[in-house]
Amino acid sequence: MRIRITGVVTLAALSLALTACGSDATPASSTASKAAGGTLTIWADDQRSAALKPFAEKFGKDNGVTVEVQAISKDLQTNFVTASQSGKGPDIVVGAHDWIGNLVQNGAIDPVQLPDAQKSAFAEVAVKAVTFNGQLYGVPYAIENLALIRNTDLAPTAPASIEDLVKAGQTLKTAGKVTNIMSLQVGTTGDAYHAYPLYASAGGYLFGQKANGDYDPADLGVDKPASVEAFKKIAALGEKGSGALTRSITGDNAIPTFTGGKTAFLISGPWAVADIKKAGVKYDITPIPAFAGGKPAQPFVGVQAFYVASKGKSKALANEFITNYLTKPDLQVALYQANPRPPALVAALDQVKGSDADIQKWLDAGKGGAVLPAIPAMAAVWDPFGKAEAAIIGGADVQTTLAAAGKAITEAINK
Amino acid sequence: MKTTTQREGGSLAGPTIKIALLGAGLALAIAAALPLVGAHAWGWLAVLAATTALLFYIYLTPRHIAAKYLVPGTIFLLAFQVVPVLYTASTAFTNYGDGHRGSKAEAIIAVQGASVKQVPGSMEYDLAVATREGAIVFLLVDKTGATFVGDGDGLHPAQFTVAGGKVVEADGYTLLSLGEANLRNDDILAFSVPTGEGAVRASGLTRAYNGQATQFYDGGCDCVTDRGTGKQWTADNDAGGFVAADGERLPQGWKVSVGFSNFTRVLTDSRISGHFLQTLLWNFAFAIGSVLVTFGLGLGCAIALNADRLRGRSVYRVLLVLPYAMPGFAMLLVWRDLFNQQFGLINRLFGLDVDWFGQPATARLAVILVQLWMGYPYMFLVATGALQAIPKEMTEAATIDGASMWQRFKQVTLPLLLVALTPLLIASFAFNFNNFNAIYLTTEGGPFPPDDSSVGATDLLITYTYRLAFGGSGAQFGFAAAISVYIFAIVALVSVIGFRRSRKQEEVYS
Amino acid sequence: MSVPKRSERAGVGKWMRQMGWRHLAGIAAVVFSLFPIVFVVSAAFNPVGSLSSTELYPTGASTANFIDLFTRTAFSRWYVNSVVIALTASAVGVFLSVLAAYAFSRMRFAGRRVGLMALLLIQMFPQFLAVVTIYLLFAGIGDFYPSFGLDSPWGLMLLYLGGALGVGTWLMKGFLDTVPRELDESAVMDGATHAQTFFRITLPLIAPILAVTALLGFIGTINEVLLANVFLRSDDSKTLAVGLYGLIAGQRNANFGMFCAGSLLTAIPTVLVFQSLQRYIVSGLTAGAVKG
Repeated sequence: MRIRITGVVTLAALSLALTACGSDATPASSTASKAAGGTLTIWADDQRSAALKPFAEKFGKDNGVTVEVQAISKDLQTNFVTASQSGKGPDIVVGAHDWIGNLVQNGAIDPVQLPDAQKSAFAEVAVKAVTFNGQLYGVPYAIENLALIRNTDLAPTAPASIEDLVKAGQTLKTAGKVTNIMSLQVGTTGDAYHAYPLYASAGGYLFGQKANGDYDPADLGVDKPASVEAFKKIAALGEKGSGALTRSITGDNAIPTFTGGKTAFLISGPWAVADIKKAGVKYDITPIPAFAGGKPAQPFVGVQAFYVASKGKSKALANEFITNYLTKPDLQVALYQANPRPPALVAALDQVKGSDADIQKWLDAGKGGAVLPAIPAMAAVWDPFGKAEAAIIGGADVQTTLAAAGKAITEAINK
Repeated sequence: MKTTTQREGGSLAGPTIKIALLGAGLALAIAAALPLVGAHAWGWLAVLAATTALLFYIYLTPRHIAAKYLVPGTIFLLAFQVVPVLYTASTAFTNYGDGHRGSKAEAIIAVQGASVKQVPGSMEYDLAVATREGAIVFLLVDKTGATFVGDGDGLHPAQFTVAGGKVVEADGYTLLSLGEANLRNDDILAFSVPTGEGAVRASGLTRAYNGQATQFYDGGCDCVTDRGTGKQWTADNDAGGFVAADGERLPQGWKVSVGFSNFTRVLTDSRISGHFLQTLLWNFAFAIGSVLVTFGLGLGCAIALNADRLRGRSVYRVLLVLPYAMPGFAMLLVWRDLFNQQFGLINRLFGLDVDWFGQPATARLAVILVQLWMGYPYMFLVATGALQAIPKEMTEAATIDGASMWQRFKQVTLPLLLVALTPLLIASFAFNFNNFNAIYLTTEGGPFPPDDSSVGATDLLITYTYRLAFGGSGAQFGFAAAISVYIFAIVALVSVIGFRRSRKQEEVYS
Repeated sequence: MSVPKRSERAGVGKWMRQMGWRHLAGIAAVVFSLFPIVFVVSAAFNPVGSLSSTELYPTGASTANFIDLFTRTAFSRWYVNSVVIALTASAVGVFLSVLAAYAFSRMRFAGRRVGLMALLLIQMFPQFLAVVTIYLLFAGIGDFYPSFGLDSPWGLMLLYLGGALGVGTWLMKGFLDTVPRELDESAVMDGATHAQTFFRITLPLIAPILAVTALLGFIGTINEVLLANVFLRSDDSKTLAVGLYGLIAGQRNANFGMFCAGSLLTAIPTVLVFQSLQRYIVSGLTAGAVKG
């Protein structure tokens, strides 16, 4: 018994000692020796940070600074705001352009000054996306939007309309070649981003636009008659209708359903391509077809961008990195290679177009697409809109569902 | 004999260990004090000194024996749990949240910083950051190739060696590399070269532009004015934001105290009060149900496997514990897929077509089933430990009395188990009452009635709070804290009642 | 169908009553436990790596996901970090909470019941709110003691120790309540100090529950994501839970196979710890100790 007790005490003491020695021991985190010029810290999600690392390191080596790229796996935006507030944030953060509204209201990012010549080197839609209240807030590097991806073995020709698509899918399903007419992620709580192209094509809108082209939170379109009509068309594709849209298709299984050959049509973005290639499915990318006689099925266009943190310790250098280093084609091409989606810099885009035919197809699919609204009011839309979509696809009454969703959104905006 | 040896060993070892530990504590305290002294953080130093003194008092006095056992854990608890929780709860009295995180001064800096624009038609420059006698200066080349030195007084024409539009050498100045310049980040940011209109500022470290803040704050009117349009936004110090006459708000606000308004809002908001009772009832049903089913199955397995002669016992045990060893969030996602109507294995295996997460009753059944899977290994482990801790003599005595297995269980084992496990069951209830992941990663609170998407059939108060607090335009921490205080009060009440009942059992051996 | 002879039937019947039902229950429980895990195994060996919940069996057998895990991520580093943090935090945590549990169970002092209640209630506060404050707290600590600030495993460990008193104390207090007080009292009569009684008499008596608490602490720590994600940013300092979460955070499909492979490997240390503690959990220590 004594031996055991001694063991327990020793273990406890050892652990305490271990903890206590922390101040002397080198924590596992400290990496290579610091360069003389201080540190530039970049936060990004896991994928992007992996792509950025080599370039950031090269930039650091060339200029005598240490560049640390840190991957924040969960809640990057929230963590960035919290960290910034306490002065422990990074110098640069990488994220989607619809974060800008929230980051600005928290004073977490600063505008960047790009001369007109540099601005015009970017795709127009990308510059528009990162502009908020008349100021440019980030340097864009990639553009992404949804498109129709089709299995060319199962469906050799692109459908001209949603109706054609459903018909083709139905035929394949009846023939037993597929189990689903199409794959568009809905899930139990819906997905406003993926539903938007159909909604827009059927005549619905989220926010009206002001004279200067900005979205107007006061003009909410969700419960307007046009939107009710739009959702009636979507309901006809739902579980009580043709069954093209179902809540069984979720964000988790939408792409595997397509790569597994269970459907010939997938509505998704550039992030799906890697999996499709891996699965060896022959595919083609075309714009999302519209309802026959409807408006174009515009997807939302999203932009990934780099932002300068207001309270970074190396703010001048951060500005230097994103305005003068990121605006060169090499880095944007490299980021494309790590994660193939169209670069925002026209020169980089032209460079990769030659080797990757998909790029032009993604751009074509996004042509005329609506820039994903960056206004804070948009945050109030996602949840109620998605749930309304899921309910209607499940067979709920369109009118009352949308009226309730409209009320919920309005309340959340005016909280 | 044995006892004597122990006492002798103890009389020597005890004090030695005590002195060694106290010495280590003192050394640690001194090590911890050094940075505080260095930073002149006298307040914290006082806290440290008081804590150390308290520790020495407690361990040197022969009295306060309970404190000797409680203090080590309590220090950690106070510092890393109680303080954060109290501080967070105190934000319930503020509008703390996105757009209202910092002070007014920070908001003003943010407003002005966000409004800096290039003066229309002004010049842009290639920049080299340099020092002259240690002070920062800008060496500038404009579009025409003209070169200037910019200092705190203004722009002065000057001559340097320029190659490819960049300054490469300048007599009397030390050019800074990017790394060197970065070390003087704050000086460079504070530096600007005044011109007639605005000032030349650095954009990065190799370019400069003539910029000006288009919005500025005036303490006199406590308002922000736009230089171009003359529009004014007056500070609303009760709401923590700048508001214009036409109702337009600047996005950047600040944190202010709002009294009890978050608390009254919980009561008056129809989205909350309208569903509160229903959600509360389900919340109780979920927490109690989860505890009962996990405990029932866990105990059952523990009893079944608690036989010395059972072959493969340890293999069974390891396999049963596996669900608990796998990362919880991953397994919740797997379960969500299992319940998928079209693709899920549960429907396919049993030939069903149930829309599990689409109907309130099945969704509730499903989340409890998932909880059962996630939680029963825990109860199994604890019950196994408890069964082992029951002195064999007691069950053996009952066997001799001729009691059947069931009677033995009911009369001897179960009462003893409940003494040991009731506190744990209460703790488990409390944990499940707020089991955010169990709902958020499976049903997300759904299914939601189509005519009111604010609350779903499986929503717990916590998932519901989460959506209210973070679902709108940014996080509302203050409001969420207020709801949490209410939930806290409810759980406290229930736990106190449950705890009172457990007192009787506790006193069995007291 | 032949009818078994009488004696044989009786033997089977007896075996069923004593052992057989235990095996049946054990097998049923194992099936229930393993059935979702089979998907994880199947996805881990599936080269495409997507989750296909319609098939229980692997659609491919490839170790590519495991190889990717070690070559494309800092997985081995995460592994070491996790095990070190979880072992230390659970060992120290058990020690802290058994001390407190002893006081709560054996001693009567002012504020005892209130203290116990408070211990429970403090756990009730939603962590997703407190996390902002915790951030500010450790930002401040890091200003004075960089090794214990953000992005340091030591700081994270301190934070975990703050929660050590919570459930662990409750668990062990319940067990201590079942250990007859006469044992302590007789030791004290023999002249032992309270510390000697605690370390030499009481601790060995509750070895099974110490082991269980340690295991639960280990599992809880190794799977913790929310706080670890806030703390650990550089790739080298991450824990398994944070690193694995990162694999599927943005794009669940792309890395799902790697993620599943990682999840399986994560379970190994837990199983090993469980195995090494099993003898404490199941051995008849209690009886022996009472006699000694």
